[in-house]
Amino acid sequence: MAPPWLDVLDETIGACVTHRRPDLEARLREKRAQQLDPKLRVLVVGESKQGKSQLVNALLNAPVCAVGDDITTTVPTFVQHADTPSAALVRNASARGSIFHTPTERIAVPIEQVTKQVSTAHSQHVVRAEIGIPRALLDSGLVLIDTPGVGDTRSAHTASTFATLMQADAVLLVSDATGELTSAEMTLLKKIMEACPNVTVVVTKIDLVPSWRSVVERNKALLARAGVPAKLIPVSSALRLRAAKTGDQRLNTESGFPELLACVQRDIVASADLLARRAVAVVASSAIAQLVTPLREELTAHDSSRTAATISTLQEAQRRVDELRRRSARWQNVLNDEMADLISDVEYDLRDRTRKILREVDKTYDEADPAIGWDKFEQWLEDNLNEAATTNFAWLMERAEWVAAKVAKNFPVYREDLIPGSVLPDDLLEPVGKLDKPKIEPFSIPQKLFTGLRGSYGGVLMFGLVTSLAGMPLINVISLGAGALFGGKSILDESDQRLKRRQAAAKAAAQRHVDDFFVKFSKDVRDAGRHIQRSLRNHFSTLAEEFQETLLESARSAKRAVQDDQTERERRLREGRKELDKLITLYKRVQALGGPVMELSA
Amino acid sequence: MTLDRVVWSMLQEALAVYRDSPRATGWLRSHVERYTEPVRIAVAGRSRIGKSTVVNALIGDEFAPSSSFVWYRNGTEPRAHVFSGPGRPHEVQVGRRGSRHHVEIGQFDRADRIVVEWPSRSLRDVVLIDTPSEASPEQVLGDADALLYLMRHVQDDDLKFLQAANDHPIARVSNVHTVAVLARADEIGAGRIDALSSAKQIARRYRRDVAVQPLCQNVVSVAGLLAVAAKTLREDEFAALRALASLGREELEDHLLSADRFAGEQFPLPMEPAVRQALLERFGIFGVRLITALIRQGFDTQVKLTGQLVQRSGLGELRDSIAIHFTERREILKARSALLALDVLFRMEPRQNARKLMADLERVVASAHDFRELRLVAALQAGRTKLPAELQTEALRLIGAEGATPLARLGFDYEAGPHEQREALLDALVRWQAIAADLHAPNDQRRAAQVVVRTCEGLLLPLS
Repeated sequence: MAPPWLDVLDETIGACVTHRRPDLEARLREKRAQQLDPKLRVLVVGESKQGKSQLVNALLNAPVCAVGDDITTTVPTFVQHADTPSAALVRNASARGSIFHTPTERIAVPIEQVTKQVSTAHSQHVVRAEIGIPRALLDSGLVLIDTPGVGDTRSAHTASTFATLMQADAVLLVSDATGELTSAEMTLLKKIMEACPNVTVVVTKIDLVPSWRSVVERNKALLARAGVPAKLIPVSSALRLRAAKTGDQRLNTESGFPELLACVQRDIVASADLLARRAVAVVASSAIAQLVTPLREELTAHDSSRTAATISTLQEAQRRVDELRRRSARWQNVLNDEMADLISDVEYDLRDRTRKILREVDKTYDEADPAIGWDKFEQWLEDNLNEAATTNFAWLMERAEWVAAKVAKNFPVYREDLIPGSVLPDDLLEPVGKLDKPKIEPFSIPQKLFTGLRGSYGGVLMFGLVTSLAGMPLINVISLGAGALFGGKSILDESDQRLKRRQAAAKAAAQRHVDDFFVKFSKDVRDAGRHIQRSLRNHFSTLAEEFQETLLESARSAKRAVQDDQTERERRLREGRKELDKLITLYKRVQALGGPVMELSA
Repeated sequence: MTLDRVVWSMLQEALAVYRDSPRATGWLRSHVERYTEPVRIAVAGRSRIGKSTVVNALIGDEFAPSSSFVWYRNGTEPRAHVFSGPGRPHEVQVGRRGSRHHVEIGQFDRADRIVVEWPSRSLRDVVLIDTPSEASPEQVLGDADALLYLMRHVQDDDLKFLQAANDHPIARVSNVHTVAVLARADEIGAGRIDALSSAKQIARRYRRDVAVQPLCQNVVSVAGLLAVAAKTLREDEFAALRALASLGREELEDHLLSADRFAGEQFPLPMEPAVRQALLERFGIFGVRLITALIRQGFDTQVKLTGQLVQRSGLGELRDSIAIHFTERREILKARSALLALDVLFRMEPRQNARKLMADLERVVASAHDFRELRLVAALQAGRTKLPAELQTEALRLIGAEGATPLARLGFDYEAGPHEQREALLDALVRWQAIAADLHAPNDQRRAAQVVVRTCEGLLLPLS
């Protein structure tokens, strides 16, 4: 009949398979195979140079393990029962390979040489040594495993020790009596307890230390303080070996080995079933604990964090929609205000510039004669007006961009394409009509002659009458001279008047032209401003709509997720709980096997 | 200017710069004082490894172990002071308990430091600091110029301690001078009679171990109890041991199998169990075995026996090691400690007018030839710089890895005349110059050769 622990172990393995934990499964299977094996593995561990190999030798009364003053044991040595003494080295068949699943080969060596072979340097690929000797102690299937020291500088040794630890049914922790258990040894002890609960601390070399009894007492106190339920046995390998050689029973008793042997017999060999149950309980409960932890985490995550996250996403989305709405009012206000300011500013600027031009024109035609160089003047006026228009317009554009940036700043979210590339209408500047040339009356020679004659007539007559009183004829030298003078004067007066008229006409023409320009251009600028305003508004409201849509969508999806989660989650929660209950039942059964009681609550 | 003088003047300059800061002045004063003292050697290791025993063996007198830092320095008469918290130290009595001296610190439950002044020839060149086992590397090395690290077999914890000790910017530039001691050598091999020679072999193996070599200058093995015994063997003890040796070998061996048997009731000699117990405590079971064996072999006077014990316990080797690696290098060890102190000061209280000193510090650390030698030793031993095997041995010897005296550097084991030394030196100089100028050699090799050439030139100066 299969022992009860086997069922539990198999069920635990099944649970590991369902939870997809091949690593745990492999570990448990190894344990299972090992428990079904009638052999009982007793591992001898400890820091280096504590007398582990000597202890094994003394237990068996045979020099099977290499002992030496320097670090000697480099690979685990398995000592088991055999009818005739035999020895073999097991080593990796391939020179390089991973530590897992490498084919190994056994090489039989004479038993006298095995200790030497193990400790020689070139035996790098040796994984372990196996020794069989006929001893009553080993008859019941007991296997003593001597291990390399833990904590040595060559860490490979430590690693191989821990690898063998997994296979152990019982452990003898070796510490020598020259000092109490160090903190490193206590750590090692706790580590061992996790893998194998059946630990006995062996204090060696008591022959060497006069005060070994106080060391043992201190060690007991240390163990009690750390809560480690391990038995402590002081021995002396040297005395035991000596006793074996001389056959001195008293010395044998002194060596402490009878007690150790009894302990091995009683606690390890006789209670194999209890040991198996305990070992299975420890391994299985640690495996189940590992299965339960992620499961429970998942359940709690379902309960709280995941839903909380979804809900917070939803809330966030809604908050951002509101924010967007609130902010769009703001950016629209900014746009309107700024554009109104802009247009009035630009108009004022334009008026200012044209007035300056007109003043210049007035000043010029106070003196200059429009008849001379009108073409030049026309050119000048045109240039000036153009310049004014360009500057003004450039300013408009600049301000428009600034406004766009300001609006963008007040926009709720930032995006790369937030500022529109171009806000300006393409067909902005239509040329103003040509400047009308004012009417200029030329002062021709016949006109001058006629004007001169008309002026000279008065003079001749006036002076002719005066001189006729003096008896001179009406037409004489004096009257003719006066006539010439008067004629000249009237010609000058006339031409002066004509100049004034021309200047007035020119000024009027320029004034008209500039007015036309101003009216036309200010209209254009206003149009441009409005156009800019419109296009900015369109641009930003499109963006705002896009954003809003995105946000609403994410809010909607979050809402959906919350609703979806609810059903899916409940399903998974049910499943998880069922799974967890199953594991806990299993765990209770494992505990019933006699393992340590650990707290595990749903 | 020698390194010694440079560092001294830097200390004085720093005192001038920081004269208005009482804390800095106090710190610098203590270091100026320390600079003129003998080398301070801290003795550290795990608990119950035998730190106090080794200290006792080095002093040649037995002191009862204490749980705080205990300094042993040379003095004209035995005196002890307890430093506890701030304030002045208190003078306390040094009494006797049995064969041991005991510092009566009764009224101070917690002493930071106990300073014992003791007239002893062996304390003339060194100040020994016995440290508590729970002290951290910083605490241990704070006041020490060099380190004597005790262990049984090299374990990870020991390596960690030594690595931590070297983890300071200046420490990285020049390693802490460390001699590792395999203490309790007598317990190796469960106290067999040949334990000491195999302990020596193990020490030799560790000297070549790649993990251990970069962390310490030398590894020696010492049987602490034996060494103390050698220095403090008393008449009555010798008589008792001689009586033991007069027993038949077989008979005695039976009773020396275990400590219990030796101190037990049934004993073939009329000797009080208390006496035997005392012998055990003083020498250990191994010590009794070895001493009786030695007496039987003919070292039957106290003088002969003491000589044998000093040699066998490894104490002689330890002393040589301390001489080669610590006291002969007093100058550089002191310079290193002072530079570390200055570095700490500049970090804690940086100042505008200390700029020049900080630059000086950096320059000295980077360019002083003594430090370059030390760095090369470390690089060669750690394998960062590679030289062909025979060149490496010669380079290590020339730059002083085996002793800083000209004779040790040139590899003479006898007192060679100046002419002979000059010949050897010129030969080495020419060869190393060739290596330094060899364009085909790797860069690090050439740089190593340059350091060796500079060393040879320095050695040549007093000879010409």
